[in-house]
Amino acid sequence: MMRELLANYPAATARYDEMLGAPQGTHGTHGTHVPRAHWQQLFDQLAAASPEALRERVKWVQRQVRENGVTYNVYADSEGADRPWELDTLPLILPADEWAGIEAAIKQRATLLNQVLVDVYGEQRLLAEGMLPPALVYGHAGFLRPCRGVRSPGGVLLHMYAADLARSPDGRWWVVDDRTQAPSGAGYALENRLVISRLYADLFRDLRVQRLAGFFATLRDSLAHWAPADGAAPLTVLLTPGPLNETYFEHTYLARYLGLPLVEGSDLTVREDKVWLKTLSGLQRVHAILRRLDDDYCDPLELRSDSALGIPGLVQAARRGNVLVANGLGSNLLETGALLGFLPRLCERLLGESLKMPSVATWWCGEPAALADVVAKLDRVVIKGAYSQMRVEPMFGEDLDERGRARVTAMLKARPQMYVAQELVQLSQAPVCDPQLSGAQLRASAIGLRVYACASPNGYVVMPGGLTRAATGTDARVISMQRGGSSKDTWVLSTGPVSSFSLLKRETGPQDLVRTGLNLSSRVVENLYWFGRDSERCDGMARLLRVALTRVIEEGPAERDKAWSGIAGMLVQTGIFSDRDAPANEVAIARALRAAVVDETRPGLAGGLKELLRVASQLRERLSRDNWRTLNQMARRLQRDRGRQIPLSETLAELDRDIVAFMTLSGFALDGMTRDTGWRFLSIGRRIERLQFICSLLQQALAGPADADLGWVLELADSSITYRSRYMARPEWLPVLDLLVRDVHNPRSVYFQLKGLNDFVGRVYGAFGITDTTADSVSERMDAAVLALESIDPGADLRHGSARLAALLQEWNDASARLSEQLGLRFFSHVGEVNRQTFAT
Amino acid sequence: MKYDILHETVYSYESPVVLSQQLLHLTPRVVDFQRLGAHRIEVQPAPAETSTRDDYFGNPVTQIMLAAPHASLTVHTRSSVEVLARKIPSASEPWEQARDRLRAGGGDRVSQALLEPMQFIYESPHIEFFRDLAAYAEPSFGKERDLLAATLDFTRRIHADFTFDPKATSVSTPLREVLAKRRGVCQDYAHFMTGCLRMLGLPARYVSGYIQTTPPPGKPRLIGADASHAWVSVYCGGAGGNAVWVDFDPTNNMLVGEQHITLAWGRDFSDVTPMRGVILGGGEQELEVRVTVTPQ
Repeated sequence: MMRELLANYPAATARYDEMLGAPQGTHGTHGTHVPRAHWQQLFDQLAAASPEALRERVKWVQRQVRENGVTYNVYADSEGADRPWELDTLPLILPADEWAGIEAAIKQRATLLNQVLVDVYGEQRLLAEGMLPPALVYGHAGFLRPCRGVRSPGGVLLHMYAADLARSPDGRWWVVDDRTQAPSGAGYALENRLVISRLYADLFRDLRVQRLAGFFATLRDSLAHWAPADGAAPLTVLLTPGPLNETYFEHTYLARYLGLPLVEGSDLTVREDKVWLKTLSGLQRVHAILRRLDDDYCDPLELRSDSALGIPGLVQAARRGNVLVANGLGSNLLETGALLGFLPRLCERLLGESLKMPSVATWWCGEPAALADVVAKLDRVVIKGAYSQMRVEPMFGEDLDERGRARVTAMLKARPQMYVAQELVQLSQAPVCDPQLSGAQLRASAIGLRVYACASPNGYVVMPGGLTRAATGTDARVISMQRGGSSKDTWVLSTGPVSSFSLLKRETGPQDLVRTGLNLSSRVVENLYWFGRDSERCDGMARLLRVALTRVIEEGPAERDKAWSGIAGMLVQTGIFSDRDAPANEVAIARALRAAVVDETRPGLAGGLKELLRVASQLRERLSRDNWRTLNQMARRLQRDRGRQIPLSETLAELDRDIVAFMTLSGFALDGMTRDTGWRFLSIGRRIERLQFICSLLQQALAGPADADLGWVLELADSSITYRSRYMARPEWLPVLDLLVRDVHNPRSVYFQLKGLNDFVGRVYGAFGITDTTADSVSERMDAAVLALESIDPGADLRHGSARLAALLQEWNDASARLSEQLGLRFFSHVGEVNRQTFAT
Repeated sequence: MKYDILHETVYSYESPVVLSQQLLHLTPRVVDFQRLGAHRIEVQPAPAETSTRDDYFGNPVTQIMLAAPHASLTVHTRSSVEVLARKIPSASEPWEQARDRLRAGGGDRVSQALLEPMQFIYESPHIEFFRDLAAYAEPSFGKERDLLAATLDFTRRIHADFTFDPKATSVSTPLREVLAKRRGVCQDYAHFMTGCLRMLGLPARYVSGYIQTTPPPGKPRLIGADASHAWVSVYCGGAGGNAVWVDFDPTNNMLVGEQHITLAWGRDFSDVTPMRGVILGGGEQELEVRVTVTPQ
């Protein structure tokens, strides 16, 4: 079995193998490689597993990733689509003693880099002493001058640090890169852990793999510890550039995991040099910001002026010590390969000890001697941009021909300080379970390890694990998720019992208990409202298309009864049939209906779904995993059907599945969400949309002939079963109208929507102490709508041709539109505007 | 010379601005050749918040915030300034010597005095390096030519080659385009000259300020009056600690003297924009700026 497992796994000759130890005996052949002790248990399990079982595991992991909606945005993707996160089924395993070395080195490095940062943004003694060349600071676009002198509580500017490590053939670990801006990937590491630990539940426990939770608790608690105190429980927010960012999934994931509100720049405002979150009930003080937005974009007033993403005035708030920004503004300064060469001396100078883990040999071309050296050995180095914001693709000297070398040499000589050259690293290899390979076989893949440290009042704490990235492309020299790499869970074994500790835990007291949800950000509430509306709109659309398609499939144009005019009217109203030329023949009708299901660019279900998914993506951290699974299924359905010519019967089947999915979403909303203010806005959205749908439906039906079959109306209103159980007869106007208008127990009736809206609006306004006394007040109008409905005389009004009923339907429609507008003005309007820069000379 | 300066800025907006935050570099800097007398910044409508501080470069800056909806914003700054004669050396040193003194690598101790000019030899938001900048400057910087003489010659050449044209450029016109057109306003002249000098390795600051509006009897009116002005300050280092910054005005082909009032200096316009702000709302906007400099 072992032989088969390793049939496609090349023995490492020039590189280190993470899993297999050196051959025993003098004649190194395949069979004599043996698993290292810390891999033995996993290896035995793999060797014992059948090929089917291994393939099953791969599928299971892929399914988990898909269903959890773990994605990574790829900039190069023309569709801007989220790509599913790539996760290998095999973890990388590191033994406790080896980890202890890594941990100590990362702690030391984080401590060192933080001190450099504090000096450069403070006294700048390192520059005067010649410990740092001035060009590395003054010539670095990441040196944010306005941030000099910004306070660093506890002497910390670098709260979250990551290092990219590589292991050389002799087994030593080297630092390839430092990440100091806003390191990404820790959230993905967490998600990887969640999936892989479930895959090997027993092994995970037996091996005593160290837990990650303590690290994140430390991060969160430390931020709260250093945040300015004003007596209130400190509020920390996670600042994201928004859904277009490549790691937006991670932002939403971490926000949910850490229990922090996820905010964009426009959700925050600065007043009196303090930062505030715009919430439903007004401004709420923000004490700490964990930022995933690049520092130069954080404040259009003092930093880069060409960005609307930031918060005007943030630098001043930080300068005054009124908000903790993590990492400190300006921390990007350290993300430069040019610094690596100076670290050993800086470490001696600042910490009085030698650097524990070396950096991969790196030369900064800004030093004349180094430049000459680099040009001479160009074919043995990789050229990188000296500063991370340059976004230069690495250039490998060995790939260059004569002309290429001349070009690169000229480039280096023209602006030497902008480039570094780094020695090529022979990365270590680790096993990857490749579903493409036949049988139970492992493939060897080059890997790199990203490790994380966060600052705490007791010094830096290193996350016992990390994000292992494996090269899957042909170029094993560059490991990058952007280039289609895959990832692995990282297991750090422990010799003692595994503890899940939390530093500095601040107990929540009774005064901190929250019930109301009044501190919801305006943007979240606005999105919840639209989530409610869009999901209800899609549901109505799907039902309408199902009714229409069924008729088209089952009946010819000749048999189609008088009801069709009402259905067609609804189709015109929703934009599926264009106003003037409703499809003239069967082919055109079928084409229009199918397009509404699969074509996102046209009005219809697919377009509505796309909008629903967009709004949902803004609410990621608010929706449960199960909600997400349902939404992801629909997203995949859209993707699958895009541009496909599917038969009508299959279209119908897709509609059935969509409708079940909408029912599931509605079930979550009804049974799975706390009835706080946010939920009420979602419900108001649903009710408004449903009210408009039912009014339109009845208006269209009433516009048709009096003797038309009303079955379709009941079907669209999802009330057929109730009707049949009550009347057991062919639908007639009076009982149908009674059921859909006056029956307060029917969740699709007009009365039900009005009552609900009246109740929710009253509660929302009450919660904010709003007393609306204007003549055209929303609540009065809603009251009037309910009263009008209650005064309906069934005998006189509930019939085809009733002018009063027609007027009432119109009035209810108008009232709901007006309500929507008023809610928008009162609660949402201040986040839609975009900041603009102005200059005067 | 003593001056009274009135700097008026008026923004008119199409629809109300609901939130406005502004950073003002409108207070003349106090230096050994310049004293500041009475000084007042009046803002209409009255800001909800006002604070003052010194920026990274030591320039005074005022930050204001208006949180009530407003259809226009007026900032009137009145300053009384006395400009003294500057001590300008008659000769400096070979320009290469000034350049090489600032070439510190890792391991070289750097005196605090040299750290200051070192800030001004790199690229900055409005100044991107490209080969043609150095190529343009080189004819003035012959081998071992005295730095002052070379820079004066360079100033003269820019003035001769470029045409003052307020319509040719905007605040965001890149240097490449300025060079291609050889047209622009004083900001462009100053940016261009600064870029060329830095590419040669010479420290150059961008200076924002004013110039006397009414010319002395018999003298022509200077370009750049009635608006804020800009010029270039060049570090003319001497080995013996007698380092001075000498200011050149390429728009008027002159050494800066008592006719120039200094507001602030930095790497380029972005560091010392007289009024830089962020607004919410407003729609279309109109901007009117007037500067009057009257000798007392």
